[in-house]
Amino acid sequence: MKTLVNVARYHLVDRTSYVWLPWAILAVSFLVNLCITSVLPSPQGDYTGGLVTIYIFLLICGALSMTRALPFGLMLGLSRRSYYLGTALLIVALGVVYGLALTVLQAVERATGGWGTGLHFFRVPWIMDGPWYQTWLTSFVLLVLFFLYGMWYGLVYRRWNVVGLVAFVAAQVLAALVVIVAVSTTNNWAATGHFFTTLTAPALTGVLAAVAAAMGLGGLTTIRRVTV
Amino acid sequence: MTPVISATALGRRYRDQAALEDVSLAVEPGTVTGLLGRNGAGKTTLMRIVAGQEFPTSGTIRVFGEAPAENEAVLRRMVFVREEQSYPDFRVSNAIEVASWFYPNWDRELAQQLLADFDIPPQRRIRKLSRGMRSAVGIVIGLAARAELTVFDEPYAGLDAVARQLFYDRLLADFAEHPRTVVLSTHLIDEVADLLEHVVMLDSGRVVLDAPADDVRGTAMTVSGPATAVEEFVAGRAVWHRQRLGARASVTVAGPLDFAAQARARALHLSLEPLSLQQLLVHASGNSADEKVSA
Repeated sequence: MKTLVNVARYHLVDRTSYVWLPWAILAVSFLVNLCITSVLPSPQGDYTGGLVTIYIFLLICGALSMTRALPFGLMLGLSRRSYYLGTALLIVALGVVYGLALTVLQAVERATGGWGTGLHFFRVPWIMDGPWYQTWLTSFVLLVLFFLYGMWYGLVYRRWNVVGLVAFVAAQVLAALVVIVAVSTTNNWAATGHFFTTLTAPALTGVLAAVAAAMGLGGLTTIRRVTV
Repeated sequence: MTPVISATALGRRYRDQAALEDVSLAVEPGTVTGLLGRNGAGKTTLMRIVAGQEFPTSGTIRVFGEAPAENEAVLRRMVFVREEQSYPDFRVSNAIEVASWFYPNWDRELAQQLLADFDIPPQRRIRKLSRGMRSAVGIVIGLAARAELTVFDEPYAGLDAVARQLFYDRLLADFAEHPRTVVLSTHLIDEVADLLEHVVMLDSGRVVLDAPADDVRGTAMTVSGPATAVEEFVAGRAVWHRQRLGARASVTVAGPLDFAAQARARALHLSLEPLSLQQLLVHASGNSADEKVSA
């Protein structure tokens, strides 16, 4: 465990990437949206997708943790497994804290009627619009999910370079295509729609957690034979 | 005693190219071993396999008696400093600090001392350092880690002669106080010749020489003097190389030469010179470079 904590500390030396930049970028995104809604208020309230910036940035951080920081990590007498698990520990810890921060910001947004302009920045209908603990949990799961997904991209790049990266994306597109074709040919679109419309927010969080676990397993399998 | 490193029929293929082929060797504890060879001879590949960073395609590797890959019990006891180690966007002090968390025998004072010796500004970002300074950071980590097995792979890219000498001096001094097993790969052979107790030479992925350094030093002699006298002296000996310049000749023969032979050489007014480790390397690696010189 001490080793894993030290791996997490190793990453945190780069405070800029893991602490300052995600929030700085989210702040910029927020201010842009706030300016727009204050100039162009809409009676139903404004919905933006601005919150996604922090998740995308964590995906990038995840990729960097497995590319830029890996060679020195393996110089430190670490197994790949410890390196991966220590990095995962970092994002779990960050996810708890950052999820809580997003929850607090959502509460402020709700209390101020959308920062006085009707802006829905931290409130996302259906998925992040419930009680505070649910927002915290869902934010946590999503932050971890995006980071682990980014880590997997980084590892695929480390192991198979750009060609591997293209194949990795292509495989995902192909998988999605297979699902779409399967649902279409079996005339199951109605049932699919029903599944999602009746899926409760906590159940959705559960589904996302399962996806995050799958990303973790994929990454852990990929790092086993990565060379530096 | 169990060897610190033992390789048995080790091989590593990259597509159709063999980086290592049938490499078997043993590194004994408490020795300084030089891993020599030309560029692309397979030195780095071998060391990466030892450090668990690369996987062999055939054969076995044991470090402290165990397979090193993914084995922290082994990895924890070694440090591997490679040529052009890449670091995250760190300051020198960050890299030193992080390293101190992971190496159990880390010597903080030694690290500070070495940083000062090599004139490395601790607050500078590593990517802003010159190539030689960056190499020096690796050297500082490699020495201050005081790992039981210390592996240096051409650790001095871009370092000037003074800094290299400093490295050799510090390595020897710390080795004397805290004995450990050191493996050093290099092609600046003559510079490190005095440091080495054992020599392993790789050529095209194969071991062509594996012997105590003292045995290697006497393996060949260059005899030079008047051509006729030289030819008379070397008759019946295994000749490695022959060079003639006018009436003078210089011939390299397999050694060692006994007292009688040395006395005879003196009587013939011939000069005898043992081949340096570096010259031996040139011969051992198929002396293609040497043939060009004499042609």
